[in-house]
Amino acid sequence: MNADPSEKEKTGRMSPTDNELMEAVRDGRVEKLAVLFERYQTMLYNFFLRLTGNRAASEDLVQEVFVRVLKYRAGYLGDSRFNVWLFQIARNAHIDHLRKQKPALSLEEQFAEAPSHEPQPDAVYETDREAELVRRALDRLPVQKREILVLFRFQNLKLREIAELMGVQVGTVKAQVHRALKDLSRIYLELQGGNVS
Amino acid sequence: MTCERTQEKFADYLTGDLDETGRGEVQKHILDCTACREDLEDLTVVWAKLGVLPEEQPGSAVRGRFYAMLEDYKDRLEADRKLAQPSRPRWTDWFTFRRPAFAASFSAFLLLLGIGAGWLLTEGRQGGARYASLSREVQDMRQQVALSLLSKPSASDRIQGVSYSAEVENPNDTTLAALFKAVDTDPNPNVRLAAVDALYLFRDRPGVRESLVKSLSVQSYPLVQVALIDFLVEVREARAVDALKKLIEAGELTPEVKARAEQGLKQITV
Repeated sequence: MNADPSEKEKTGRMSPTDNELMEAVRDGRVEKLAVLFERYQTMLYNFFLRLTGNRAASEDLVQEVFVRVLKYRAGYLGDSRFNVWLFQIARNAHIDHLRKQKPALSLEEQFAEAPSHEPQPDAVYETDREAELVRRALDRLPVQKREILVLFRFQNLKLREIAELMGVQVGTVKAQVHRALKDLSRIYLELQGGNVS
Repeated sequence: MTCERTQEKFADYLTGDLDETGRGEVQKHILDCTACREDLEDLTVVWAKLGVLPEEQPGSAVRGRFYAMLEDYKDRLEADRKLAQPSRPRWTDWFTFRRPAFAASFSAFLLLLGIGAGWLLTEGRQGGARYASLSREVQDMRQQVALSLLSKPSASDRIQGVSYSAEVENPNDTTLAALFKAVDTDPNPNVRLAAVDALYLFRDRPGVRESLVKSLSVQSYPLVQVALIDFLVEVREARAVDALKKLIEAGELTPEVKARAEQGLKQITV
């Protein structure tokens, strides 16, 4: 019954889907979470890294996501795509992280606020100047806009999946992506021209 | 089509998710509307610029922490299941780190050793020698515990054994050999992964890199194969080149591992 968890992978045949794996985890075969971890750890790490600009915090948040996956596994219904469910958990973990960072501010204020932090020495993760400029421009976007762009551009989530994730209409997400890209374009040009310190 | 309706389609336009009709509508509109055309041009440029951000790999500690957490969770789950049918405990069960009493006693013992060492240190030169000897004893003790845990039937204990050996400053050859053995033969892939991560700390010790290059050819778990490749790429181990080539040529790798091996080969040979 409990065959070697990696047997299918060894032969390279019929890799189980994310949904099948998560249903197995929900039903008690928690070792299957290892495969999901290997599939998603890099994606989640980069999601958090682009939101926080901080490597250590991003690594902690990846761990936190998988702790929560185990904690809430019984609530996995499998009626939406696994990645949407996972990123819901990731978003919540990030929101809690923000709360801990700035307990004096309301969540709404934190989301509306542009990040004040300049890249830390250990967070300078790009040597190429152009990439550094893009990263700084992204950092200057308010968290909510940055999050939607990161989800759409880097996490390969479809507009309808982001809408499901955020509990809004697809049209709203389209408009938000549009606005976020326009703001990013403006900030990028400002940084490039050296108009903004 | 109005400007508003056109702009609604920009997001899908950028990702290429717009169908033929939609694309046609957008292109027709921007031929006549300068504002929307410039808008779309700006968005296309910034969309492409975002592509220059590289993807980073998380540190190897993330994997170690995850597997330790997973093993711990599995053990607790197993313990809950057994609670319904309690069996007669054996006396050896007392000596496990999952028993708080044993863990506490052992910690207290180590603490006392530490205090003793500190006291001796304040005694000057003569004490210094005794401190060094005590410190060696603590290290030896750690290694013995690590070796003992590594031979336990529970994967959680063996992972703890790996963690213990990782804390030894300068492990002896027996401890290193136990870690090599764990990488190659442990029945649990999570223990193997933990052992690879621990060996990263001792990457400059003679024999460690050679041994992991050899492991590459005998390793059967894809996740461990990836961890080994990550390790050898990280230390830029030139001797891994042949092993990686053979591995790729043998054609037994899963597509993910093959892609990582090919990428690793490029990274090492750059």
